[in-house]
Amino acid sequence: MNRLLGPLIGLALYLGIVPLLIHGSSYWLTVFINISLLAFTSLGVWLTFYIGRINIAQGAFALIGGYAVAVLTTLHGWPFWLALPMAGLVAGLVGGVVGSTILRLRGVYFAMLTLCLTEATRLLALNWTGVTQGASGIIGIPTPFGGDSSYLQAYFFSALLLLAGLLAIWRITQCRMGRVFRALQAHEDLAASIGINVAQYRVLAFSIACAFGGLGGAVLTVFLQSIYPTSFNVTNSTDFMLYCFLGGLQFVLGPAVGALVLFLGFQLLSALGSYQALVYAILMVLAMLLLPNGLLSLRFSVRQKSMREGQV
Amino acid sequence: MGLAPTYLGSVMSQIIVNGLMLSATYALIALGITLIFAIMNVMNFAHGQMYVLGGFMVYYTYGVWHWPFALSLLVAALVVAAVGLILERFFFRSVLRRSRREESTMLLAVGTALLLDSLALALFGEKQRGVPDVVSGVYHLAGAYIPARRLLIFAIAAVLTTAFIVFINYTRPGRALRAIAQDRETAALQGVDVTRYSALGFGLGAALSGLAGGLLISTDAINSGAGNLISIKAFIMIMIGGAGVVSGAIAGALVLAFSEAIGYYFIPGSLPYLLILTGLIVFLLFRPQGIMGRRWG
Amino acid sequence: MKATAVLGVGLFFIGVALAQQPVLKIGVNGVMSGPAASWGLVNKYSAETTAAMINAEGGWKIGDKKYKVEIVALDDKNDPKISAANAEKLVSMGVKYIIGPNVDTTAGAVMPVMEKAKAINFPYAFSKELYTPPHGNSILGMIASYQAGPVIYKYLKEKKGVKNIAFLARNEADPLNQMKEGEDAAKMLGLNIVTSGATYEPGTTDFAPVLQGILAKNPDLLVLSGVAPGDAPLLIKSAREMGYKGLLSTETAQDAKILQQVAGSLADGFISVGGASTPSIQTPYMLDFVKAYTKRVGEWNDEAGTKVYALEMILRTLQLAGPAAINDVELFKKTLTKFNIPNPFVKGNPPLKFVGSAYFSQPRQLGVPMVVNEFKDGKFQTLFVGSVE
Repeated sequence: MNRLLGPLIGLALYLGIVPLLIHGSSYWLTVFINISLLAFTSLGVWLTFYIGRINIAQGAFALIGGYAVAVLTTLHGWPFWLALPMAGLVAGLVGGVVGSTILRLRGVYFAMLTLCLTEATRLLALNWTGVTQGASGIIGIPTPFGGDSSYLQAYFFSALLLLAGLLAIWRITQCRMGRVFRALQAHEDLAASIGINVAQYRVLAFSIACAFGGLGGAVLTVFLQSIYPTSFNVTNSTDFMLYCFLGGLQFVLGPAVGALVLFLGFQLLSALGSYQALVYAILMVLAMLLLPNGLLSLRFSVRQKSMREGQV
Repeated sequence: MGLAPTYLGSVMSQIIVNGLMLSATYALIALGITLIFAIMNVMNFAHGQMYVLGGFMVYYTYGVWHWPFALSLLVAALVVAAVGLILERFFFRSVLRRSRREESTMLLAVGTALLLDSLALALFGEKQRGVPDVVSGVYHLAGAYIPARRLLIFAIAAVLTTAFIVFINYTRPGRALRAIAQDRETAALQGVDVTRYSALGFGLGAALSGLAGGLLISTDAINSGAGNLISIKAFIMIMIGGAGVVSGAIAGALVLAFSEAIGYYFIPGSLPYLLILTGLIVFLLFRPQGIMGRRWG
Repeated sequence: MKATAVLGVGLFFIGVALAQQPVLKIGVNGVMSGPAASWGLVNKYSAETTAAMINAEGGWKIGDKKYKVEIVALDDKNDPKISAANAEKLVSMGVKYIIGPNVDTTAGAVMPVMEKAKAINFPYAFSKELYTPPHGNSILGMIASYQAGPVIYKYLKEKKGVKNIAFLARNEADPLNQMKEGEDAAKMLGLNIVTSGATYEPGTTDFAPVLQGILAKNPDLLVLSGVAPGDAPLLIKSAREMGYKGLLSTETAQDAKILQQVAGSLADGFISVGGASTPSIQTPYMLDFVKAYTKRVGEWNDEAGTKVYALEMILRTLQLAGPAAINDVELFKKTLTKFNIPNPFVKGNPPLKFVGSAYFSQPRQLGVPMVVNEFKDGKFQTLFVGSVE
C-alpha cells in the first residue's frame, strides 16, 4: 500500500489540484498540456533506454505522427478520434520497419544514427510535397477541443493520455516482456544464448516507443493546429532524451519529472530576460553534475538510506 | 553579361577541387571528435561549440585587433584547448566516475553544448562575423577556380592533419593515447597515466576543433549559434569512417566532402543531404563499424 | 522652510503622476537564442529602443492620457510549442499587441492563440494563409520577398537588360517559399528561369559546389532567395571568384558590416532591400533611433531599419483609434484602413499605411517602404524606393 501512496498522491494532484488551481489561466493550462504531451512522448525514449539504446529519433516519429493526423484530418476529412490512433499506428509501423534494421547498432552508433534519422525525416517532409505540402506546411488543423472549456478539455485529455502511458510502460516493465527487455539492456548476447528472440523483442520495444512518439506528436500538432517540416527537429529529439536522463533512467516517472522540471523551468526563468537561456543551461549542467543519475535518484537514495536505517 | 565559356569546360576538375578543399577542414573537425571519442568514449555534442569559440578567437585577434593570422590561430587553439581541459577536469571526469550508466556523459555533453551556446551568444552577440581575406587572388587550374584563401586553408589543414598523424603514431604521448583508445585497463596496467593522458586527449581534440573554426572563419562567416550543425556533420563523418579511428576520420571527411561536392552539382536541391543521410543509414546496416572502424559491440 | 515645503509638495505630485501613469504593455515573441537569434533579438532591441525614447519624453499619448510603454519580450527558441505558450502568457498579462514571431512554423502555431484571445500579432513570416481571410489577427511586419521580387526584377529587366534569371535558396521553409514566389514573379515578367529549385543546406561553409551547377547555366541575374546575412557575402564572394560577371540580388535585409568584412569590394553592386538604412533618406527621427539603438545594443544592425516600424505603427494606430482600442482589437482593425501618415523614418517618400489588400484581400501588412539598396564601398546606397499596395 505504501508503494502506491506516492503515485496516488501525484495522480490526485495532477488530475485534481492542478486543474483546480489553474483552470482559469489558458497560459498555465497550455504549459501543463505541453508538459503532459512532452512527457508522454519521452516515455517512448525511456522505453528504448530500457532495452539499452540511446534514442535521438523521437522528434522524427513525433513529426510522422503529426503529419499523419494533419493529413488525415485536414486534407482527407477524417475525424480526430479516428486519425489519432492511426497516427500512433503509422509511427509504430515505420518504427518497426526502420528498427528492424538499425537496432543492430549499439551505443553511440545507434545514438548518432537516430540523430541522423531525425534530420532525414525533416528533409523527407520538406521534399515529399505531394503528401506533406512541403515547406508551406499544413495549417488550420481542426481541433476536437471546442467551446469555452477547450483548454481544460485539452488539459484533461493530455493528463489522462500521460497517465495511460505511464501505466502502460509500468505494466510492461512488470511483466515477462519487461524482464526480457531488461535482459536486453544488460546482456544482449546472453539473452540470445538462452533462446530469446532478441531481434523480435528489440523491434517490438522500439515500435512501441515510436508509437508513443507518433501519438504525442499528433496531439501536440492538433493542439497547435499547424505543422511544418521543422515543427519537431533535432533539438526536440535531444530534449526528449534530456527529459529521460534528467528525471532518471531508473524510474518510469523519470521522463515525466524531467519534462516537468525542464519545460516549467524555462517558462519560469523568462523573468530573467536576456539571461534566461544562459541560467537555464547552467542549472541543467549543475543538475547533471550533482545528480548524474537523475533528479529522482535523490528521492531514491534518501529512501534507500531510511529503509536501511529502519531495518537495521 | 554572362560567363566565360572556359568555365563550363571542366566540371569534373572543379568538383574534385571543391571536394578536396572541403575535406581538409572537415578532417580537422572529424579528427578532434574521434580522438575525444576514442579516449573518453564521450560523444562530444559540444564539438561544434568549440569550433565556434575558435572562430570567434580568430575574429577578435585577427579581424578586430589585427594580430598576425598565425598568432591568432595559435591563440584559438590554446584557448579552446584550455576550455576542453576545464570541461574534462570539472565536468566529464567526475560524472564518468560517479554515474551509474555511461550514457550520462552524453547527457552532460548535450548540456555542455547548450551552456557553451548560451555563453557564446552572451559574450559574442547575435551578429554574423567574418574577417578579411588572409591572402587574395584566384588560381585557375585545369579549368577549375581555386581561391587563394581556400588553398591556404587547405595547406594549413593538411599540414596540421599530417602533424597529428605523426604525433599519434611516432611519439610517446601519441602511443600512450593509442594504448588508452585500444584498452583503458590494459594501458593503465602497463603504467600509462590514464588520467593525465585522457585530459591531454580531450584538450587536443578540442584544440583541433578550435583550429578548424579559426581556419574556416577566415574564408566563411560564423555566428554564435552555428555549433550544432557542425556537430551533426562531425557525427556523420565519424559514422562513415568509423568512430575512434584516425584513418576513419579522414575517410569520413573525404566521403562527406565529395558527396556534398558531387551531390550539389548534379541535384541542386535539398535532396543531396536526404540522400547522404539515407545512404549513411543503409551503409551502416552493412558495415556498422564504418569504413575503417573496428567491429564494435 | 517654504522652499522645502514647495519642493516636497512638488515631489509629491510628481510621485503621484508617476504612480498614476497608465502602462501600455506590448509583447515581443520571437527567437532570441540559437542560430537564428538575431531575428528575434533585433525585434526586441528595436522595440525596447523606441519604447525608451518615448518614455524619456514622458510617454505615449492616446486619448487624453500619456502611457508608459513597456516591452515584454519572450524567447521562443524557434519552437512552435514554446511560441504558442509565450503568446498565451502575453495575452494572460493583458497584452493585446505582440510583435513576432519570426518564421512560418512559429507564426502558424501562434495564430490560433491570437484568434481565441482576440489579440493581434505582427509576424515576420511570409506564409500567405496567416493574413488572408478567414484569418485576420496577424499583420505581416515587413515587405514579403514575393512583393519585393517583382519590383526589383522589373527594374533590372528594364534598366539592366536582364533576361536569364537563376534562384538559390537556403534549404529552410521561409527561403524556399520565397524562391517559389520569386520564380512565379519572374515568369509573370517573361524572364527565362535557367535553374529551378536550387538550394543549399544550413551550415554550408563552402558554396562553390552549390554555385558551380547554377553558374554553368549563364544567368544574368542570380537571386539569393531569403539569404541569411551571414551567407550572403560568402555566396557573393564564391560566385565572383568563380568568374560570375552577372548581377546578384536578394529581397531580404542585409548587414553592410559583414558584407564589407567578408566580401569587400567583391560585394559591390549587390542589390538588397533595406528599411531606412541609408543616410541619404533618413529623417532626423530615424537618426535619433539609430543613435539610441547603437547606444543600447553596442552596435547598429541594418535589420533594425525594417524592424523599427512595428512598434511605431502599433502606437500610432492606437493613437488614432483611441484608448478603447488598447483592449479591443476590433477597433484597431477598423482603423487600419484610415491610417495614413507621413513616413517618420524615410524622407519625402510615399505615406505610411497598412497595405496588403492585393495579396491578402485585406490590409494586413505594415506598409514598410521598399528601399532597394546597392552595396558600394562598404555602404548601402539607395537605388530607389518602391511601395506595395
